[in-house]
This record gives sequence, C-alpha cells and structure tokens, in this order.
Amino acid sequence: MEIFITGYGVISSIGTNVEENLSSLMQERTAIKQGLNSYTSKFKVGEVALSNDALKSAFDLKTDGSRTALLGMVAAKEAFKNHSHFNALRTGLISGTSVGGMDISEVEYRKEMAGEKPNYKKYFHHPSGTTSEQIATEIGITGFVNTISTACSSAANAIMMGARLIQSGQLDRVVVGGTDCLTQFTIYGFRSLMIFDDEWCKPFDNSRKGLNLGEGAGFLVLESKKSLEITGKEVLAKLSGWSNASDAYHQTASSPDGDGAILSMKQALKQARLEPHEINYVNAHGTATPNNDLSESKAFINVFNGKVPPFSSTKSYTGHTLAASGGIESVFAILSIQNGLLFPNLNHTSPIEETGLIPIINIQKNIEVTHVLSNSFGFGGNNSTLIFSKI
Amino acid sequence: MKIIGHCYINPRGAFFNGQNVLIATEENYLKNYFSELKIDYSKFYKMDLLSKGAFLGDYLLRNSYKDLLHVENELQFIFANTSSSKETDIRFIESYERKKNPSPSLFVYTLPNILTGELAIKHKWFGENIFYILTKFDSEFFNDQIVMSFLRGNEYCLCGWVEMTGSPEDECFMFLVAKSEVVNENFSNNLNEILNTYRNE
Amino acid sequence: MSELKEKLKTQIIEQLNLEDLTIADIKNDSPLFGDEGLGLDSIDALEFIVLLDSYYGIKIDDPAIAKEIFHSVDSMADFIESKK
Repeated sequence: MEIFITGYGVISSIGTNVEENLSSLMQERTAIKQGLNSYTSKFKVGEVALSNDALKSAFDLKTDGSRTALLGMVAAKEAFKNHSHFNALRTGLISGTSVGGMDISEVEYRKEMAGEKPNYKKYFHHPSGTTSEQIATEIGITGFVNTISTACSSAANAIMMGARLIQSGQLDRVVVGGTDCLTQFTIYGFRSLMIFDDEWCKPFDNSRKGLNLGEGAGFLVLESKKSLEITGKEVLAKLSGWSNASDAYHQTASSPDGDGAILSMKQALKQARLEPHEINYVNAHGTATPNNDLSESKAFINVFNGKVPPFSSTKSYTGHTLAASGGIESVFAILSIQNGLLFPNLNHTSPIEETGLIPIINIQKNIEVTHVLSNSFGFGGNNSTLIFSKI
Repeated sequence: MKIIGHCYINPRGAFFNGQNVLIATEENYLKNYFSELKIDYSKFYKMDLLSKGAFLGDYLLRNSYKDLLHVENELQFIFANTSSSKETDIRFIESYERKKNPSPSLFVYTLPNILTGELAIKHKWFGENIFYILTKFDSEFFNDQIVMSFLRGNEYCLCGWVEMTGSPEDECFMFLVAKSEVVNENFSNNLNEILNTYRNE
Repeated sequence: MSELKEKLKTQIIEQLNLEDLTIADIKNDSPLFGDEGLGLDSIDALEFIVLLDSYYGIKIDDPAIAKEIFHSVDSMADFIESKK
C-alpha cells in the first residue's frame, strides 16, 4: 500500500517554516552560533531565536507547554494547515521526543535543590507523553496519540509507525515527526560524553571533532489512498521505504563497521523495492562525531557496493536536533525531491582517511531527484532508515 | 499469537510464568535478585533501574526462548512505560547541580530505550526495537503492535512494561510472544489477567 | 605513592559502580580496559576524567590522551603525581 505525504512543517535554527529552511539550505547558510541563553551562550548551537513567549504569539499557539511542546506545535501546525477534520477519517498523531518538558523541570528542580519552593504545577509539563498530547490538542487531533522515545531516531520511528498504522488500516491519516528543545540537561550530557565540537561541526571531515547541538521540530502528514480521495490534498512525495534494526554493539557508540546501519538501509531498500543505484541522494545521520561518521561511511560503502550516491549531513546547518532530527531531515529530503536540489555538507575540507568518501560540497541544482534515503541513528543502537520517492 | 513465557519483577519478589522465584530480602532488590541468581555479568552494576529490570526479566525468560532458532534477526523488542528514565534523569541533574561534574555514565541511561540496547548487546540480537511512552499499561496497544510486527515478518516479540522510578509501585512485566497460525482473540484480555494476577501477589 | 594507589582503587570502584570488585581484585599494573583487564569501556574512560577532576582537580580536555593515562592504576598514579 502506498503512503502519501500531503503536508510538512519544520522549525529549526535556520528557519521557522519550510520556506525559510529551504532558503537557508539554498544559500548554504548555517545558523549554528554562540547560544542566546545562559546555558547555551558558551557553546555553538543551532538555537531557534524566538523565546517561548515569542513563539506563542508569532504562531498564535493556544495551548501551553514546554519549549519542546511549543516547537512541536509550530511544525505540526504548519504540516497540518489547510487540512480539515473529516468524520470518515481516523486521524492520529505520533511524536518522538527525548527531553520532553525537561526545559521546565530542570529550572524548577534547581530551585528545589537550592532549598527554594518550586512551582510543582510546572512539573505537569514534564512527561514526554504530555508533550504529544499538547501538540495534538493544538492542531485538533483527538483520536490516536502516541509518543516514541528512542533517542535520536525517535522522529524517524514515529514516521515509520505512522506508515505502518496506515498500512494495517488502523489509521487513514496521521501527523508524524518529532521535537526536542535545547536544555541545560542535554548540553551537560553531551559535554560529559566529550563529543562536542567547540567550533562549527564538520560532518564526514577527517578532522571532525564532534557535534553541535540544535533544537527544533519536523512533522509530516501521511495519508492512505482512501484518505486522499476524501481530502483531495496535493501529494508532495511518497514514503516508499522504512526500516529499523539494532546495532547490538554499545549503549552510545556505533559499531565499527556499521552493522545496524547496514541492516537498516538494506531492509529499507528492499521494502521500497529499489536497487541501491536508484538512490539519488542520501541525507546522512552525520552527527560529525568521529565514531558515527566513520561507522556510517563504512555502512554506505557496504550497502552501495562502493558506489556511494551523493550524500551530505544537514546537521552542519541545524546542529543535531536529537529526537527531532529525523522529522526535520525528512522535510529536507522532500524539499530535495520537489526542487531538484542536493544540499551541500558545510565545513568539509578533507575526506575521512579510512574511506576517502567526499560528501556534496556545493549546492547541486536542476538534478532529477527521484529517491532520497534518510538515516537516523539513536543511542541504544536504534538505527532507522526512511526512503522518500517522487510521486 | 502465543505467549510462550512471562515474568514480573517488583520490590517484593520476582516471578516466572506465574511462579514466585525470588523474594526480596534487601532494600536494593534488583541487586538482591541478581546475586541470588548468580549471574556473571559485571556490566549489570553499571546499569540504571530500567536496564537492570529488563536484564533480570530477560534472564528469567531465557528458558522460554533459548532453544528457538532465528531469534537473532526475527525478534522484535516492544517496550514501554510512563515515566521514561525519570530516576536516572534526576540523578544526572544532581551530578551537575550538586557535584558540579556531569556524569557520563549516568547521562547514557537518561534514555529509556537504552534497555533494549543492553538486551541487544548481550544476545547479539539485530532485530527491530522500539520504546513507547504510554499513560498506563495498555494491553490492546501491545496486541496491535505485535500483530503488525508479525505481519511484516517478525517471528517473536519480546515485550515489556518497565515502569520503574524508585517507588514501591515499581514493576517490570515482560512477556515473549511467538507467531502462530492460531488467532488469539482474547490476547489482550489474557495479558491483563496475567498482569493483574502478578500485581495482586 | 602506594597510599595514593589504594585510594585510587577505592575511588575507581565507587565512581564506576564496580560493586562486584574489591581493592584486592585490581592489580597496580594490570590493564583497566579491554577484555584482559577489568573490561572497562569508553564510558568508563570518561568517568575517569570526571574522577580526576572531582578528587584531584585535574582537567583533561582530550579524551585521546586519556587512554594512556588510564592504562593502569600505576599510570594513573604517575600522572597524578606529575601534576602535583
């Protein structure tokens, strides 16, 4: 059964909607810079420049929530705009998040530890499930609402689950994606793992040191054929393949040869009934950590039999947006197909010595892009691949 | 769909297929069960509550699957809870707020799905793995996920409800389901009965 | 020096949650990492960096250097002494 994409929405440091994100990508313009908040100001991060209050008023958000929820509402709202409610359609929402309402809880908890009285009501926003409920409320979805928490592959897994629920006939239409905001918690965490680059991250470069964190959200609307007949929406692209596999190697590190990544990419290709050479562009997970990029590169060489298609990591624009990354990068994959563009990988000067692979360095225009493969790998060895195809 | 094994762990005891196998004699009940079972796996001590619970649950279930073939690739993990990794989250915050030194080994466990990673690492299982956040244990939800998993070719689902935050109400309920020709219309009712029996022990 | 080494072993056991080990299980010159030693991994190496900072006020910015320093209790003690 075909899965049609009829809506997309994105907010990241390079733009608060699809159009702005596309414009930044085309101008090869990163938004990674010194942060604006007390906990981000010492680092280079991909921060959305609007405060919570500014987000609420700029996007007319009626529902209160953590920053994670607010960012999710903005992207989900854009994806679902011009979509209406139909009694005949079962519509759901699946959202991936790893931090949930941590941005609010960590402030209250700090007060609590300092002996001050916290505002206990604010902890209400903490659970990841609440984040999804708030997004669903904001866009008027009352049926099936679900939350996935598989670290940095959360959004990709939410998209995958949505496709499966449509296939199995449990839903006709579903809003899928992920959201995560920057928090003190995640910054300290990734710092403690020493996989931060204090300068601009350099995905797939031999001298890469680590990642820059980012925040944002990305959502898609998936529909079945039956749903399309009722909604009459224009189809942006198809979701033609999806897969998830375990890497079974380490809690946080990728296996040296990318075993889980290979399995995930191969199974997604098989499901999409595509040969590796039919992929025109790969939007890599590409976090710019020494470990991920080498492991993922080796997996590319294996899956594509040495003939690796043009690839890049757009995390050099947005930073690593964790649970949201699969959602944001899915929107970028569709933009690549719609506009015949291959987005370059910023800050690349020399290929990784072990593999010699060179990502896309300059923007490629007027390319016939039919199939795009997008990877999202999460801690816990949770590896997911999505394939998007031209309609 | 056939349940071929189930187990339950809480601060009072550990159970396998309805039988009480262990009774807690120490406050640190997970460590208590681990030493009682005489398991040789030093990584256990480094794990958080969720991973320890799932590790022990998997150990109790091992007799249900150890002779099965194809487990390596055709087994899917389906896990869920309500509170995500709350207990470790708080400990990690304390490591940087109080001790001023964020602990990397705590940060690793501030993601609930690390527990499926631990099981995959231990057994070299390369199948699908997923972690959901649900408001409460939902047998129908598990039923639907398992049905879909089998439809796409998986042979087994190792499922778990691991709601552990360091409270007396903590519980780890795990069950292994095998694909079978027989349609089990009562699956979610059966699941609820099993869990309720455990909860009332 | 031997006092420092014994203290280090206690701190290692505590910081890394090696609850199944005692001080007697850790030899001064045996490798801490890899299968031949205590089987510690990359996350433990990061935890050693935290240990050095919290107990000895020594900061290490490059995890690559950490490998040599944390080879054994001997090498850790030598490093701490050299920083005094």
